[in-house]
Amino acid sequence: MAFFLQMIVSGVLTGTVYALISLGVIVVYKSSSVFNFAVGGIVALSAFLLWQLVGDWHWSAWLALPVFLLALILLGVLIQRLILGPLTGQPLMSAVMATLALGDVFTGSTILFWPGPGRYFPDVVPDRPLHLGPAVLSLHSAIILATCLAAFGAFLLFFHRTKIGLAMRGTAEDHSLAQSEGIKVNRIFMLSWGVAIVIAATAGVMMSLLYGVSLDPLNALGLKSLAVVILGGLESVAGAFLGGLLIGLLETLGSGYLDPYVGGGSGDVIPFVVMLLFLIFKPYGIFGYKRIERV
Amino acid sequence: MMKKPSGVFDESYPRDLALVRTPYRWALLATLLVALYALIPLFASKYYLDVLTNIAITAVAVLGLQVLVGYTGVVSIGHVAFMALGAYGSAALSHHLGWSFWVTMPLATVLCVAVGMLVALPALRVRGFYISVTTLAAHYIILWAILHGGNLTNGASGLSVGEVTLGTFVLKSQLHFYFLTVTALALVTFFLNSLMRTKYGRAMVSVRDNDLAAEFLGINVFGTKVLAFMISSGLAGVAGALLAYYQGIITVEQFAISDSIWMLGMLVIGGPTISGAIFGVVFLRTLQQMVLAGAPMIGTLLPALGGSAVAAFMQIFFGVVIVAFLIFEPRGLSHTWQIVLNKFRTWPFSY
Repeated sequence: MAFFLQMIVSGVLTGTVYALISLGVIVVYKSSSVFNFAVGGIVALSAFLLWQLVGDWHWSAWLALPVFLLALILLGVLIQRLILGPLTGQPLMSAVMATLALGDVFTGSTILFWPGPGRYFPDVVPDRPLHLGPAVLSLHSAIILATCLAAFGAFLLFFHRTKIGLAMRGTAEDHSLAQSEGIKVNRIFMLSWGVAIVIAATAGVMMSLLYGVSLDPLNALGLKSLAVVILGGLESVAGAFLGGLLIGLLETLGSGYLDPYVGGGSGDVIPFVVMLLFLIFKPYGIFGYKRIERV
Repeated sequence: MMKKPSGVFDESYPRDLALVRTPYRWALLATLLVALYALIPLFASKYYLDVLTNIAITAVAVLGLQVLVGYTGVVSIGHVAFMALGAYGSAALSHHLGWSFWVTMPLATVLCVAVGMLVALPALRVRGFYISVTTLAAHYIILWAILHGGNLTNGASGLSVGEVTLGTFVLKSQLHFYFLTVTALALVTFFLNSLMRTKYGRAMVSVRDNDLAAEFLGINVFGTKVLAFMISSGLAGVAGALLAYYQGIITVEQFAISDSIWMLGMLVIGGPTISGAIFGVVFLRTLQQMVLAGAPMIGTLLPALGGSAVAAFMQIFFGVVIVAFLIFEPRGLSHTWQIVLNKFRTWPFSY
């Protein structure tokens, strides 16, 4: 029983992180209909960037965080401006290929500039175990969970209560209508990329606070969040949250109970199997809009 | 479209339908074959024979991808996994049962075709990039299965493969494998070219252009996509088997997803046609050789970055090249080549 509860707790933690990263994918898709395959690379690169500022150059957090956020938004703006903007109107394969290649560039940059073994963030608060019934949660994990939930909440506030959020939602519905209302659609695209990168980076940084900054786990994180996106539906923020929790729980429970039979590592493949099953039986996800083909 | 040179007209149906249409083109084809089979082996060093063999193997795989991407419009990110299946299939059969290459390769291809058929199943329900995501999932599942295959696949420690024998003749040297792979490439190109001239090929092209309209015309869109997946994974399996026998030992790590992205990139650079596939492979591998040649220079320029700098630099460089081609020349080198060729063919009326 204690084992089961422990799995649930860590599943919820993992799931929230997945949900946050998949929010990054969904924001971009909602506004510009581009599926962001580069999310793994973005998560990794941003975690390493923050490590560079805080762990290597030892900037204080008050200076590093705003600079970090600005850099991320700038990256998003540049991606839209330089790469996806010129590709408007081209068939689907171009955008897919572009984000794939971009992801490759990011992972390559990570290997190039920070070679060798992983790094660790310096501890800001000393770790302490918290007890939730028979399950144990480290203080760091609790802080991460709280931060991720706060980030999710902040995004929802931004999306639903501010004028810019309204503009983003309008663009997500219909580009031409938004343009006719005076919304600068190109700027909204740049902004959505910036916001998406900030969200994904937050999740990545949170995860690397727990497990250290290294390329492969972060890349895998990005890829599994694609599974979350499929599960929850591409257009739905609530779907991202639910899907993330579901996949996180399935992954930890599955690997907890199946690992002894398969010799370890089953957690890596469970999200993909779930994704495949959903693609066969319910391809638009739990909350996605069904696409009805009309002539 | 293939334009004939000024002043050349087809005077009979067989002439119109022929693959090689003028005596001039027969001569060109003959020259190409002579160059490939006689001249290059005579003048190329072992290192370049190795490069060319690698190009040939990659080209077979990319041609398979071309069937999916260029002719049916399905962007497959999991292609490398099928190469791994073919490689491990033939390697396992050879390692555990000792069967000859000429038996294991077809069997491995059959395995890949079957798995390709399975991966194509979601194509019934979804289109567009959902299929791409399916192939991504398939990639990771297949690689995970190979990694956890226990004694059958030797997991992470690598599987050794037997040798290729033709009767009692053992293929051992660089040159032998060069001939084998170039012949394979030639046969595959011929096969694909012929396939594209049949009704199945035309069905694929129509599915790519507009699958709704294709459905109206009575083409079985799902069946066509499944067929495309089967051919594509089969060819990847052939390439994988060739790779396994060429290298003698294979591990799971050499089949990473970035190779899949590079193969897609080769198609982007070369253009989504058969000749484009080969152009793309040659172009990207040449770039790779140039980066490798400049590696010592990179090493001295950026010493703090260590040994993996070259591989990482290559990854970044290729990504940038792919994006540049997407923005500036989306129809690839083969399109440019066609324009140049047509200018020469229709000279002096090249307007």
